[in-house]
Amino acid sequence: MTSPLSSISQTKIKENQETFIDDTRKENEKEIEENYRHLYIVIEQEEGTILPVSFEMLGEARRLIDDFNKRYKPEEKVVAIILGHNIRHLCKELIYYGADIVICADHPELRYNRNLLYTKIISQIVTDRTCAEKITSSIHPVSTATTTPASLNPIFSKPRYMFFSADDTGRHLSSTVMAELESGLASDINKLVINDLEIRHEHKTKGKPIVYEKTLEMYRPDFSGFLWTTILCLDNLNPDNKKKFHPQACSIIPGVFSRIERDTTREEKIIDFDPNISQEDLKIKIINRRIVQSKVDFNNKKTIVSFGRGIKESPEQNIKLIENLAKELDAEIGVSLPISKKPYPVSENLTSTYMIPDRVIGTSGRKVNPLLYFALGISGAVQHIAGMKESEFVISINQDIQAPIIDESDILIKGKIEEVLPLLINEIKKHKDKLQIPQGIEQ
Amino acid sequence: MNPDGTLNTAVIVKLEPDFSEGNVSYNADGTLNRAETKNILGPHSAVASTAALYSKVKYGSRVSVATMGPPIAEAALQQSQLICDADELHLYSDRIFAGADTLATAEVLKAGIKKMANGQPIDIVFAGHRASDGETGQTGPQTAWKLGYPFIGNVIDYDVDIKRGYVKVQRLIKSYGYHDIIEEIEAPLPIFMTLDPSFIPFFNTISQRLKLARHQKEAIGRSSQYKEYLKVFSAQSLEVNSKAVGLPGSPTIVYKVEKIPRAKANRKADVIDGSSQGNIGQVVTRIYDTLGGTIIK
Repeated sequence: MTSPLSSISQTKIKENQETFIDDTRKENEKEIEENYRHLYIVIEQEEGTILPVSFEMLGEARRLIDDFNKRYKPEEKVVAIILGHNIRHLCKELIYYGADIVICADHPELRYNRNLLYTKIISQIVTDRTCAEKITSSIHPVSTATTTPASLNPIFSKPRYMFFSADDTGRHLSSTVMAELESGLASDINKLVINDLEIRHEHKTKGKPIVYEKTLEMYRPDFSGFLWTTILCLDNLNPDNKKKFHPQACSIIPGVFSRIERDTTREEKIIDFDPNISQEDLKIKIINRRIVQSKVDFNNKKTIVSFGRGIKESPEQNIKLIENLAKELDAEIGVSLPISKKPYPVSENLTSTYMIPDRVIGTSGRKVNPLLYFALGISGAVQHIAGMKESEFVISINQDIQAPIIDESDILIKGKIEEVLPLLINEIKKHKDKLQIPQGIEQ
Repeated sequence: MNPDGTLNTAVIVKLEPDFSEGNVSYNADGTLNRAETKNILGPHSAVASTAALYSKVKYGSRVSVATMGPPIAEAALQQSQLICDADELHLYSDRIFAGADTLATAEVLKAGIKKMANGQPIDIVFAGHRASDGETGQTGPQTAWKLGYPFIGNVIDYDVDIKRGYVKVQRLIKSYGYHDIIEEIEAPLPIFMTLDPSFIPFFNTISQRLKLARHQKEAIGRSSQYKEYLKVFSAQSLEVNSKAVGLPGSPTIVYKVEKIPRAKANRKADVIDGSSQGNIGQVVTRIYDTLGGTIIK
């Protein structure tokens, strides 16, 4: 590198590279500016109730696009898409919580989510030129009044970014919509950043460095909760295999992002979309729908006792102790995700009672906020924390006082579950006996 | 459906790390130690295989099981065959498939499903809820879309009306901030379904139980000689476009992997030595302070 000879060849390579990069980049930028615009969010509602995750997605989208519009031109919008029946009145709420524009498909056949039909209608909406022109004319209202929209508006083909919820409905919908739009999708995202990134990739750029502007960095915690993977959805700029991959889409973990404050002064812009529904797609019929109560009741218990991998040293004994503790405190029993993945080798009855997805607390299960939460042998992966952090008072038992759960605990009892729980149960019994003394005297 | 009116079914499975205690190994920093952890048929793949067994017992269906992966992924096919007494096993294995994201994986699976059952159309495809390592839950629905099959997720029960060519399905929908819902759907075949982890097949009649026993016995024999049922496909024999699979066909890339930085502590924990009875007594006092006037029976 330091010899004169090698520095010459380096410079030459660099020049060649820059020409290649410049050409590809300019060409790519131009095309993207014309074709891919705005952030579209697929809103979820059930029987006229907008699900909380929808407001959370709007909040994060608002923050991202406000920042985007400070850094980039031309201006882009947060566009909410809502499908259903008799839902027109919900649109203004979406505006109040951060959407610039709502596209509303209100139709009797869209009352409930049916994957096939919803996928087709959402795909129609996000590739619809008329909708795109209405969005653009909301940015440049003056000029559209004097000229024909077609001559003014760029050639819109797809959204730049797209958000879905990472619940089951949103997960399935995001998958099929992205298969239809032939673009990339990252699931279970809990952090988002928009940046210009220089990428050097064997397939995407044929090993040459190219700057991808306005790229959405999608952060997803892995199953262990300790690693964060950043996923990008990038066009193939490799001359041997060119392909556009837009929108850059993701599904967002419910309960992670905060909503913005409701602002009723925001201007309402609602576009009514008339869906094109084929008779063939209506052959899939919803015959019946009923609300079911889970056997596991986290909402009506003041205390939840949860356990994780830390029970492993003597699972059978520990589960018995945990049952006793829960009984003494009239608590429901929860588990962390790793516990539900593969049953421990305990008896049939214990397996079927506790190691079930219904009891999982965290992003793959339930979000809870009891008065009192016990985290027994739970290290505190981000997914679990997201499910329990709103508990009033948290007591954890762990041998490792460095475990992340300490940051979410009011008390951390250092020790083994099998050693601490007998003491704890004993003290609770003593406390209860004390409370009952007056009654005893009267008798 | 086959010319004789029997159903053709397919199962998509995946070889995954075995997360059960004693088999899984974690590094000191809490991440999975892949070298030390065994691989098995994923638990959700096992549920999907059970759904195929149900179809075999109840309707006499033909079952094909498929996976994409390196040669060792054969183990997942063998383990699935032991559950569902599969008639045919497909392994899609090619260096160019490596590094595929869900869209590029779905492209391979679609091509493979079209080659099952001697090219007869598949009536029902079963897949798991999600993989326990990747956990995206996207591959199933994306394969369904590419096949042009309607997708139904979170299935807890199903029933086929062979004469009409219809399936009736019950599915469990869970969402944050709303009630759980059981939905009953009727749809014409073909269909692609993913099974809810809580799916349990019931074999109610004596004839079903006899058939079940016969298939379980047959499955032991077949899976011990699974190679006789195995067909391995490359990109070429699947006739897929090499630019639509593997890394070249993947819209997404992994840009970076990092340790999740420790979030700012939300609470300041009092650390208490758990071996002291007196300390625990104090904890109990705070428990009752928190629960306040709650009466605990």
